Amino acid sequence: MMPSLQRRLLILATLILAGFLGATGLVLDQAFRGSLERAQQDRLQGYLYTLLAAATLHDGRLEMPDELPELRFHTIGSGLYARILDDAYRLNWQSDSLTGIPYNIDRLLAPGERRYYQTDAGDDNLYALAYGLSWEDADGAVGNFTLHIAESMDIRAHQLIAYRTSLWGWLAAAGIALLITQAAMLHWSLGPLRRVANDLKAMESGRKSLLDGHYPREIQGLINGLNQLIRNERDRTTRYRNSLADLAHSLKTPLTILRTTLEADPDHKPPPQALEQIERIHGTVDYQLGRAAAVGRSRFGQRTPILPVAERIMRSIPAVRPHGPPITSLHCAVDLRFPGPEGDLMELLGNLVDNACKWCRGEMALRIEIIAHQGENGLCITVDDDGPGVPVTQRERILQRGGRADESRPGHGIGLAVVRDLVDSYRGAIAVGDSPLGGARFRILIPNG
Amino acid sequence: MRILVIEDEPELARQLEHRLTRESFIVDLAHDGPTGLHLARDYPIDLAIVDLGLPGLSGLDIIQQLRTEGSRLPILILTARQGWQDRVAGLESGADDYLGKPFRMEELLARINALLRRTGGWAHPVLQAGPIALDTRTRSVSLNGQPLELTAYEYRVLEYLLHRPGTVISKNELTEHLYPDDADRDSNVIEVFIRRLRQKLDPDDSLGPIETLRGRGYRLRPDLAPT
Repeated sequence: MMPSLQRRLLILATLILAGFLGATGLVLDQAFRGSLERAQQDRLQGYLYTLLAAATLHDGRLEMPDELPELRFHTIGSGLYARILDDAYRLNWQSDSLTGIPYNIDRLLAPGERRYYQTDAGDDNLYALAYGLSWEDADGAVGNFTLHIAESMDIRAHQLIAYRTSLWGWLAAAGIALLITQAAMLHWSLGPLRRVANDLKAMESGRKSLLDGHYPREIQGLINGLNQLIRNERDRTTRYRNSLADLAHSLKTPLTILRTTLEADPDHKPPPQALEQIERIHGTVDYQLGRAAAVGRSRFGQRTPILPVAERIMRSIPAVRPHGPPITSLHCAVDLRFPGPEGDLMELLGNLVDNACKWCRGEMALRIEIIAHQGENGLCITVDDDGPGVPVTQRERILQRGGRADESRPGHGIGLAVVRDLVDSYRGAIAVGDSPLGGARFRILIPNG
Repeated sequence: MRILVIEDEPELARQLEHRLTRESFIVDLAHDGPTGLHLARDYPIDLAIVDLGLPGLSGLDIIQQLRTEGSRLPILILTARQGWQDRVAGLESGADDYLGKPFRMEELLARINALLRRTGGWAHPVLQAGPIALDTRTRSVSLNGQPLELTAYEYRVLEYLLHRPGTVISKNELTEHLYPDDADRDSNVIEVFIRRLRQKLDPDDSLGPIETLRGRGYRLRPDLAPT
């Protein structure tokens, strides 16, 4: 089954939101990392000027006073380091903080050149500034030096983690809030469609006859059209049934008169051919009208509660029988529904029950239940009687039109043929077998559809 | 027994009347709903045959109306409508039996007799009262197994008495159920039929099957038949 509209829209909104918020987060992260780096560069620059201000040239060596304004230069492993190399790679000076710590880049830069780089000292990741300078002392002697100032990147990393935690936290919260709002909006705006679906379900179960609620303008047209279609369909079915009833009346009354006329004179037996032809016409009329009256699986999923119909059929079993009314039993759950109109169900059950009553000696049973059939649930109708049963060789034949196993009983074999046609129109199956009651068992399977 | 036929097709109504009369029934005809309802209400009818599609008032309406008024008249629906919906609706409206057109006259007669029998409390088509046996299928009477020749009127009297075992039936009631309305009624004739019946059913005056209750009417001897 396709996912619901609401789910589709929600999935789409989630993906778009995730993409948008993700991209926003990445851009902000990038920008913040850039600004952290620039801040550290500015700091290194500041240290550079502090050191340069304090430096003195002595015997061609650039040296620093014992006390520097930045105390971290004097604390071992403080995370702020500095060293000065001359152009012969000789170490002129290094800060106390570097004592015992290997510092593994000692490049030289031309005077005025400035370069930022990353390095490490021991376990510490460092961000460093190298600056090439030329220093002239009072005697006019000029020395070229390279000053390295490095600061631990730990602070930057901590700031970044704090920033990221807060950034992604807020973005996630905003995303969830947006999604919840979105879901609520969807739920509200798809409400009318849900109502239509519920109303259709109510129609299926027979609780409603039309889609009579109030719907938004956008779908009201569709609803009106659907209602019109349903009304037309019903009107047509009613007209059709009425026409069939009229046709039945106008065909059968003359047939009755014809037959009664033939049998009117008790002293003269009517010619058997004439009676036979009347029977044939009668059979054809009954069968074709019965077939035509079957509506079949309903276009609008109309479903008929079975139990009331089954009870009405059982109550209509004629009490006028040679051996008195049969003992009957009916098993049917209250909530079972037939996937079609009441008329079809009545024909189906009526003909089956009538057949069982015609043949039974004193007992018949009707059972309707849901069973699993070819992977889906189907309706199973079982009718048993304690009559003579149907010989195996006759079982196929009695389900065909005019096919009667025993010609001596009244009826034209039409009932079972109509049952078979109805079952076919519901894509069901019918089988004749032996009943535990001793007679015939008719079993019908109707897929629930 | 008096049967009301409500059928709008004149030819079929005529044929039914003809055949039923031949079977010793008194027949009243109605060709439309209102007349049918009026006859069923106000005439001493024993059974009604009702077509469903009638002008003026449908057969179902007639049956419902009669049942609402408390009538227990046995009713047989005779209709060209064949669907189970119509059949169930007909029986639910209060009809006792249902027969589709075209029908065999024999089947109709069998159903009529079965319905009348059921109303009288008889389960079997042969109504047995002591040595007297009346077969509703062949409309013949036997005494101690020996066939008995009865005239149509004598048969009607006996059948009527047998269908109401134990009930006292006035001369007037008997007349109404045995004669068509337009017939020249003379209640003295009933006495003649009863006398002749007694002679035939009880030639040696030992059985006394029909009792006379002075000033009230006649009755089948209660111990002869089940009530």
